[in-house]
Amino acid sequence: MKKILFILLCAVVTFGCEIDEQVNPNAPAVETIAEGATETDLNNLVTGALARMRNSYPIYATATGTITRELYLFDADPRNTTDLIGTEGDLDNDSFYSTANWINRYRTIKNCNILLESLDAAASSVSAAEKDGYRGFAKTLIAHQFLVLYSAYFDSGIRLDVEDPDNFGPLVTDDAQVLQFVRDLLDEANDDLTGAEFSMIFTSGFSGFDTPATFSEFNRALAARAALYAGDMTAALTHLGDSFFDINGDLSVGPKMIYSTTGGDLLNDLFKTPGQNGNQIFASDTWVNEAQAGDLRVQNKVTQRAASFSKSGITVNYETNLYATSTTPIDIIRNEELCLIYAEANIGTNNVEALAGINAVRSAAGLADLVGTVTVDDVLVERRYSFWGEAHRMVDLRRTGNLNDTYITLDNITTTDADGNVIPATQEIFNQFPVPLDEVGN
Amino acid sequence: MKNYLKRKLLVLTLLVPISFLMAQDVRVSGTVTDASNGDPLPGVTVLVKGTTNGAITGVNGEYELSVPTGSTLVFSSIGYTSIEVAASDAGDVAMTTDVTNLDEVVVTGLATSVKRSNLANSISTISSDQLTGMTNQGTVDGALYGKMTGVNLTSISGAPGGGIAMRLRGISSIKGNNQPLIIIDGIYMSNAEVPSGLRNASGANRPNEEQAANRLADLDPNDIQNIEVLKGASAAAIYGTRANAGVIIITTKRGGQGRTQFSFSQDVGFSKAVRLKGMRDWNATNVAATFGDGEVAAFNAASQLFDYEKELFGETGLITNTNFSARGGSDKTSFFIGGSIRDEEGIMKNTGFKRYNIRANVDHKISDRVKISSSSSFIRSETARGFTGNENEGGLAVIYNLAYTRPWYNLYPNAAGVYPDNPSSSGNMLLVRDQAKNDDKVNRTLQSLAFDADLIKKDDQVLKFKWQGGLDFFVDETFVYVPEYHQAQVGNQNGYIGVGKNVFTNLNYTAFLVHDIFLGDISLSTSAGISYLNFKREFLYNEATQLIPGQTNLTQSGAKDIIQDLQNEEEFGFIFQEQANYNDQLIGTVGVRFDKSSLNGDPNKYYSFFKASLAANIHNFDFWSVDQISQLKVRVAYGETGSSATYGSLFTTFDPTNIGGQGGSLIDTQRGTPNLEPETSQEIEFGFDLGLFDGIVGLEFTAYNRKVKNLLFDRSLPPAIGFSTQVLNDADLENKGIEIGLNARPVSNETVIWNTNLNWWKNEATYTRLGVPPFTVPGNGFGLGLGTFYIEEGGSVTGIYQNGANGPEEVGNTQPDFEMSWYNTVNFMKSFDFSFLFHLRKGSENLNLSDLLFDDGGTNPAIDARGSQYASTWIQPAGYIRLREVSLYYTLPQSVLSVFNGTIQGVKIGASGRNLWTQTDYEGYDPEVSTNGTNALGTGLDVGPYPQNRQIFFHLNVNF
Repeated sequence: MKKILFILLCAVVTFGCEIDEQVNPNAPAVETIAEGATETDLNNLVTGALARMRNSYPIYATATGTITRELYLFDADPRNTTDLIGTEGDLDNDSFYSTANWINRYRTIKNCNILLESLDAAASSVSAAEKDGYRGFAKTLIAHQFLVLYSAYFDSGIRLDVEDPDNFGPLVTDDAQVLQFVRDLLDEANDDLTGAEFSMIFTSGFSGFDTPATFSEFNRALAARAALYAGDMTAALTHLGDSFFDINGDLSVGPKMIYSTTGGDLLNDLFKTPGQNGNQIFASDTWVNEAQAGDLRVQNKVTQRAASFSKSGITVNYETNLYATSTTPIDIIRNEELCLIYAEANIGTNNVEALAGINAVRSAAGLADLVGTVTVDDVLVERRYSFWGEAHRMVDLRRTGNLNDTYITLDNITTTDADGNVIPATQEIFNQFPVPLDEVGN
Repeated sequence: MKNYLKRKLLVLTLLVPISFLMAQDVRVSGTVTDASNGDPLPGVTVLVKGTTNGAITGVNGEYELSVPTGSTLVFSSIGYTSIEVAASDAGDVAMTTDVTNLDEVVVTGLATSVKRSNLANSISTISSDQLTGMTNQGTVDGALYGKMTGVNLTSISGAPGGGIAMRLRGISSIKGNNQPLIIIDGIYMSNAEVPSGLRNASGANRPNEEQAANRLADLDPNDIQNIEVLKGASAAAIYGTRANAGVIIITTKRGGQGRTQFSFSQDVGFSKAVRLKGMRDWNATNVAATFGDGEVAAFNAASQLFDYEKELFGETGLITNTNFSARGGSDKTSFFIGGSIRDEEGIMKNTGFKRYNIRANVDHKISDRVKISSSSSFIRSETARGFTGNENEGGLAVIYNLAYTRPWYNLYPNAAGVYPDNPSSSGNMLLVRDQAKNDDKVNRTLQSLAFDADLIKKDDQVLKFKWQGGLDFFVDETFVYVPEYHQAQVGNQNGYIGVGKNVFTNLNYTAFLVHDIFLGDISLSTSAGISYLNFKREFLYNEATQLIPGQTNLTQSGAKDIIQDLQNEEEFGFIFQEQANYNDQLIGTVGVRFDKSSLNGDPNKYYSFFKASLAANIHNFDFWSVDQISQLKVRVAYGETGSSATYGSLFTTFDPTNIGGQGGSLIDTQRGTPNLEPETSQEIEFGFDLGLFDGIVGLEFTAYNRKVKNLLFDRSLPPAIGFSTQVLNDADLENKGIEIGLNARPVSNETVIWNTNLNWWKNEATYTRLGVPPFTVPGNGFGLGLGTFYIEEGGSVTGIYQNGANGPEEVGNTQPDFEMSWYNTVNFMKSFDFSFLFHLRKGSENLNLSDLLFDDGGTNPAIDARGSQYASTWIQPAGYIRLREVSLYYTLPQSVLSVFNGTIQGVKIGASGRNLWTQTDYEGYDPEVSTNGTNALGTGLDVGPYPQNRQIFFHLNVNF
């Protein structure tokens, strides 16, 4: 059978499709704020910065506290003790105690920088005075974050020029330069605040510091702290005069970081449930034992355990009572510190005022007034008990040349050598944290 | 998000060459039988060589057809050696079995297939017998262990309900997709690992630390007819931009013409932990040495020591699996209906997995030329996984807390049912086990529809239109509950509830024209088509804290939070493929696919993926005269695949924040990269297949080199700029490997038939280029202090790095030197089937941070022998040899069944085991471990996993 030949044409109709440019349905894009930010946009950035400045404060407080042996954090991560007291060698630049504080400080700074950058192109409803208000706020907060970085990382290297992610500055290892940068920025912020208006809504932690004038008092308090760190006592006293310093006032006055149980908010992670061992902050026995008799600060800040508890070779007897609940606010800076800055800044120039400053704190702690010549050591003792668990000890000992084992009592920790003999474990007192690996690796 | 399609017309034109048809004037007929026992063979294909003209043998092996004079008939059937017989000599034919499975048809393209003997790639096919014939299998991926070369499987958790990291031919990605694409009956099936959000209560760092199962676990392995595994880019190129980690093609069982056959099977099994660590030999001296003198009083006061490890993991889990199916059909319509119920208890109380599955597969021939097929299944899975893995002070992960629990503390509830707080850890494991919840429920429907039409059907050519669409829709509901009286909750969150509703909608279709033409010595197969897919995911997570005591309802809480994440992916591609076969001697294929994706920086830019391959069947050439070598094929194949960035990589966004009830915006740590391109694999593989002594021995050798270029990775940015990560396309890596498979039937006689299969494979993955300075892989480890994966040019992709004297250095490698498996089936006295499967992993190290916890807690039994509390390193050898599967079945002889008058056609009983024996130097619970879940770059990090278990089963199968 023969068949004819044929040609077949087959056309298939199908659909091509054009895929849309993608828009993220989950979150606002940065570009939307860069151009024509509204007051709400700007205020959201303010709130974001105030919220973020709290993150990793707890690890900063416990890690520096452990390095200076004023406290120990016993939790599921052994690095919270072993690494920080130096039984494992140098501090690791890729572990949370080195990285978390760094990342969150710079993230807060970034939020403030975005706020600053978006002001020029902000909506016309934002007045020039309001823009200055945002500037004063943002720069003060940035300076505060850099001051924390200075305290923790000192001369390891701090990156100061970070506005442009594609063209950023070097790691500055000159600690004096870092401190000067912070002080200049605070001054700049204070100038912005002069004649400015605030249209942002602060948290309740800034109650009393939520107008340009009162916020400036907070700015000057930070400037006094920075001046003290720089050894510029004259400037410290000048700044105290412009701050909320009140030698006769309530020592607890000052702006605070607040916490709540609201969804998405943070809890105060330095609060630890009483009686727990698995996740607990303990004061070192030396901190309690070396206190002056009758110092109310000891009994107010720690509670004695019925029985001692040991972990990683460290035995402890006193647990934290620094914060009453998981929503108790944490001070950013308070009058108590300003009094002690006042005392220290007057040493050698005006002993009467130095005594007034130190005794304001001592009397509140139930201690007898100090007489005679005030020394830096006197102030350091008060700072040790006034700021337990508040991340002051490391910077205080370092700036006074005391961050060493003649000043710090080490715990008696033992290990076993190759022959099975029990020997004291090697320990370190670290001067500062290393710059995170990701920062130097890039 | 607004999203619309602009449609435009695309016209494909195919020109089909001219051909002649020949006269048919001879009738041939006969019976085809199995040469080993003389049984008739139904379903054998009888074809006139070089044409599509032919017939299929009936129930009794008979065939009859008209053929042209002088033509040759080809008899072929899967599992048997093909035979060619001159039409003039045709009649009764006896066929011999073939261990090399040369006639098996392998799906190689979206619409095309090729005989195994003509394949240019090493493609593993796993039949239902191999998959589930030996022992009971909980999940499909778990059933693949040791059954093919080139695959590396790591179970991330011993919890019932799955969780397996699968790597085909090494590492495909640093950031995204390392799990292969899974296509079941044409449906792009989601294998997502859906986290339950328990990290919000436990403090685990990332969603992938939650030890969730991957959702392939929803598929009942008993529904599967076979699985084909396209391991590398050379085989998977036709799947384009989704296929970078390989493709697993699953075909489910279907009906056939004939009497309706029913099958019932019941499995009952038991599971026990593979290994427990045990307790230290406690005495006052080592208590004082470990915990200080103050602890001795508590130790002495204790009335007994409690073995909490045994309390937690010492249970015997009961596993039952019931399966029922019916299949049959007429000459027009055939069906398969099946259902199963699986109920699996874990080795820890209150953990388990239940799966209910029903399936209906229907095929209908509308005419001789047009066929429609539908595959439908509905699955409900319920998983209770408990709390395992990493955490930070949540007091939930049981091993994390076990490690710190001193056995003289009584953690059991008192008479009033109150669990005491754990004095030396953040949580009481017994409270967590009994009263906290980490559950998961999935309701899932898989639906595919296929339409096949022969537009032209002649003796020498066929033009087919094939359309196939698929839908995978499921809702995964998660529930996490931590009671308010848990010690880590008191005064903080005061109880935690997390309720997740995760909706997945995967839609896809393909449309193809396939033209096959036979031109004398050459046959050509041309295919062209399009592919579209749209994946939508909506994650809705509600959490509540500050709970009203005793309540487990979100409403009953003082603080609530909602997290919503929407994802939409759209992809479109064109495919063209041409295959030429010269006399079954030379078989060549070229193909190309163009894909675009909404995940790329430019959503409308097409990226091309080429493939080309050549196979030469030397034994089919006329000059070949070595009788002992029945098959010698050399083959080479090249192919390209891609993988786009994960959703959201393009954008820089703000996160919501809250302080004191006041909402705000905070810059996200990821810097968006608007110009991302897909990462691409380029693979060349070559090898040979050898068949000896008429298919009694088969050897398959394959070597490959797979380069992954423009790797997408989360580059760690200097955090000072305010961003921590950015997705970049700036690195290359290379996988090199060898795969060898040896199949043989050493004994085949009346009483014993022994089949054996030896597989050997290895892979090495190395970074060949890195455009940025070296850095640690984000989200994959625990920092260089403890150990992490690290990217540096020339470094191993799977290396574990720690800080060394000169900076980061490799201290271990999670990739084995090689893997090997030995699979045997022995049928003796016709009624007994004995099989066993050994699996060897040589080399490789794990980072055993569980031991760090046990050391730090002072409870590691190794401390006494070691003499010091802390090990010098937690890098431990993780190689093993394991008896994966072993089984013995007895098939009742027909003489016994005759009392049922033919109602019951077959009864089989048996016993089997999984993981019954393991030899390893690893000191953790099991060398198979991954704290980073299934999709991360690195397995082999051990942080308090759910211990692995071994299982024993008893089986009953009845066919009627």
